[in-house]
Amino acid sequence: MQHETLDVDVLIVGGGPAGLSAAIRMAQLQQQAGGEPLSVVVLEKAREAGAHMLSGAVLDTSALNELIPDFRERGAPLAAEVSRDDVYFLPQTSQLRFPLIPPPLRNHGNYIVSLQALVRWLSEQAENQGTDILTGFAGQHVLTDGDRVVGVRTGDRGVGRGGEPKSSFDAGVEIRAKVTIFCDGVRGNLTKELIRRFALGRGREPEQFAIGLKELWDVPRGGVTSGTVIHSMGYPLRHEEFGGGFVYGLPGGQISVGFVVGLDYKDPLFDPHMAFNRFKQHPLVAALLTGGQMLRYGAKALPEGGWNTVPRPYLDGALIAGDAGGFLNSMRLKGIHLAMRTGMLAAESAFEAIRAEDTSARGLAAYQEKIDRSAVRAELYPVRNVHQAFGFGLATGLAFAGFSMVTEGRWAPDVRGHAGHRRMQTLRRYYGGRPTSHIASNATAIDRQRTFDKLTNVHYSGTAHEEDQPVHLLVHSEVCSSICGPEYGHPCTRFCPADVYEIVEEAGRSRLQINASNCVHCKTCDIMDPYGVITWVPPEGGGGPQYGGM
Amino acid sequence: MILVLAEQRDGHLNRASWEAVAAAQRLAAGGPLSVAVLGGSVESACVELASAGVGDVLEVVDPALEAYTPDGYVAALAQVIEAAQPSAIVLAHTYQARDFAPALAARLNRPLVTDVVGITDTTEGRTFLRQMFHGKLVADVRPTGNGPFLITVQIGAFRADQMRTNSTQSKIVRTPVVIDRSAIRQTPEAPFREAKQAVDLGQATRIVAVGRGIKSLEQLPVAQALADALEAELAASRPICDNGWLPMERQVGSSGQTVAPKLYVALGISGAIQHLVGMKGSRTIVAINKDADAPIFEVADYGIVGDLFEITPALLEELKK
Repeated sequence: MQHETLDVDVLIVGGGPAGLSAAIRMAQLQQQAGGEPLSVVVLEKAREAGAHMLSGAVLDTSALNELIPDFRERGAPLAAEVSRDDVYFLPQTSQLRFPLIPPPLRNHGNYIVSLQALVRWLSEQAENQGTDILTGFAGQHVLTDGDRVVGVRTGDRGVGRGGEPKSSFDAGVEIRAKVTIFCDGVRGNLTKELIRRFALGRGREPEQFAIGLKELWDVPRGGVTSGTVIHSMGYPLRHEEFGGGFVYGLPGGQISVGFVVGLDYKDPLFDPHMAFNRFKQHPLVAALLTGGQMLRYGAKALPEGGWNTVPRPYLDGALIAGDAGGFLNSMRLKGIHLAMRTGMLAAESAFEAIRAEDTSARGLAAYQEKIDRSAVRAELYPVRNVHQAFGFGLATGLAFAGFSMVTEGRWAPDVRGHAGHRRMQTLRRYYGGRPTSHIASNATAIDRQRTFDKLTNVHYSGTAHEEDQPVHLLVHSEVCSSICGPEYGHPCTRFCPADVYEIVEEAGRSRLQINASNCVHCKTCDIMDPYGVITWVPPEGGGGPQYGGM
Repeated sequence: MILVLAEQRDGHLNRASWEAVAAAQRLAAGGPLSVAVLGGSVESACVELASAGVGDVLEVVDPALEAYTPDGYVAALAQVIEAAQPSAIVLAHTYQARDFAPALAARLNRPLVTDVVGITDTTEGRTFLRQMFHGKLVADVRPTGNGPFLITVQIGAFRADQMRTNSTQSKIVRTPVVIDRSAIRQTPEAPFREAKQAVDLGQATRIVAVGRGIKSLEQLPVAQALADALEAELAASRPICDNGWLPMERQVGSSGQTVAPKLYVALGISGAIQHLVGMKGSRTIVAINKDADAPIFEVADYGIVGDLFEITPALLEELKK
């Protein structure tokens, strides 16, 4: 098939904080250095920049301050300065407040933000500098010439459910670039392909992930003052599960409430979305949400593995930045500033390599050096083992985290990690015998006022896709109708936060039904399926959630 | 004077135009109305409007308006509005309105409030209600400034049967306009329908909808029988259409049609919010479901908790009498 081609100097895949920071930095470097202008293009699968962006979030403004020092004057949407930090340990129904806030969780000087609003603002800054942001275009395939990355091909549009071209068919475009900067987010589909094909994970620990679920609430009679940051551990998770909850106070009586669960739990009947519901039922949280209304819902995976799991982020013709490379500090629960910083460093490396006319891995290796010399390593190296240590349970994890904190990671041994989905045990192993019911082990009552079923929640994510298109969740084997039920009880029906996967009983057989248009692009299924047979690929560009205010 | 813009296709009046009249009467609070119809030849639509006696019918015909184009309609309406000087312009929020109303508002440089679901009077004046966040919040909107403002009203928000009619026929006023054909940038192609068996649920006055509770394709005739007995259209929630048991154009919900018929019977439909947003404007909702906690009962006017395979035949028996 003939594909249109577009030749640029730098292609940035992903219009999130990493990609946009890279774009802005490229324009700044161009302006400073002068000379032949470089053509830079950003690909973003959402209909508008920010629509697929979801985070708590508490922003460390260090990277923003370097990228755009006058960010306040330019109206960066920083919702509220953090005025108060609270950390709780929640036993069953009571709460224990930490008398001292552990330093990683101290947020003095940081801001509560909506990542969607921040990214939309960043996209405006990038566009004002003349960068083209191609929204509604998803990167589907990495283009290579031998072992060199030469660009990305976008997905075809106007393809019908059976794969046939419709009257609106539009073939994908091949965008060829001297350097492609991959910022396609947590478990990015293109970065995943790069890691596999070029063994970028060799010599590193397996990547690890968590899922974050979040709701935006309107609580007029102010449960939480603007600027308050609350983090919790404990209820409803057991010692074998990693994670915790958060409640952030926004201006105007809005509250951001969410829950994070490590995607390495053992119990095959565990349901992360139910854990989020239970969290909202805890007296501490329930009191804060009283009299309020849920406005928006969303979910996304997070890269939790830390420094030792970051793949080699440079190769012939390409660089990897942001969540796609796993640059997130799971101790501080922050990744936005690291995404921005790695995006900026990638831009610098790409710029220098192009000017030096060497965009091979050797020419781009300076990216690794820059990262090593920067605040990125300084921050991530000391806490490199924390997530892995939690693999031994809550108490060990906390002890290790404390130890790392005090010693700044100096004497901590490197702890081996495991790909999270391999830790899920079979029903037989976990329950000793097979439970006949596959109801979530942590199920709780749904009242549709404070707790919601997934289908109702999905409605409030604003997710919408062109209905007549091929299913974008590829299940590569027949385990669903053969061994998965008896072995694991169809965990996809529980770990997907959007009710995409359903087991339908028809004529005595179980069949997997994929409700693809519910997908919120969180990537959990690609990560957590115990057989590793699900691959998420981008649906037709423009489709997905609408995370206004998230 | 408040001007209503009615909609017609092939000379047939769109039912939603009556809802726009009802809304305009609410806004006018006794004051005069005019109703404009545009097209190439619209006599029967004008006669139908005139017989309701709600106000002068402005017959705006021109060969350039034979086929709908946004440019043509905007050019014509700008002239009609300039001559008539209405205080407000009301239309139904149809697909066609969505296409040209923004351009018209921009041409007139006047505010446009869309998809209005209610009109209230507050101390600050006339306020229009519109929904936000999938209907979770309602915003109060007040157009400011002099001169007319435009509103489009959500289908089903203002009941056509609440419109006040008058036995005295209204006048039909031929309203000439001058349209520069060369300034029309769109060339409409022949209208077409993709589906072989086209159904427009939006025009149905009664609907019987089925959900998962129908269990299998073989049982659909149970629902069809009820639909036939009630002279209703058959519709479905998403899972039924996803299975291919009914075509996509019969789907009601956020990824299907939004309907507001006089009667909506939901058989075996749980009432997930994605379905509710497509039908909760219905005048009377009857729900039959085995599950007493099904969300559909929150919006139903009449609900029966029971097996639809027992209840539907019983209903059919009663209807035969």
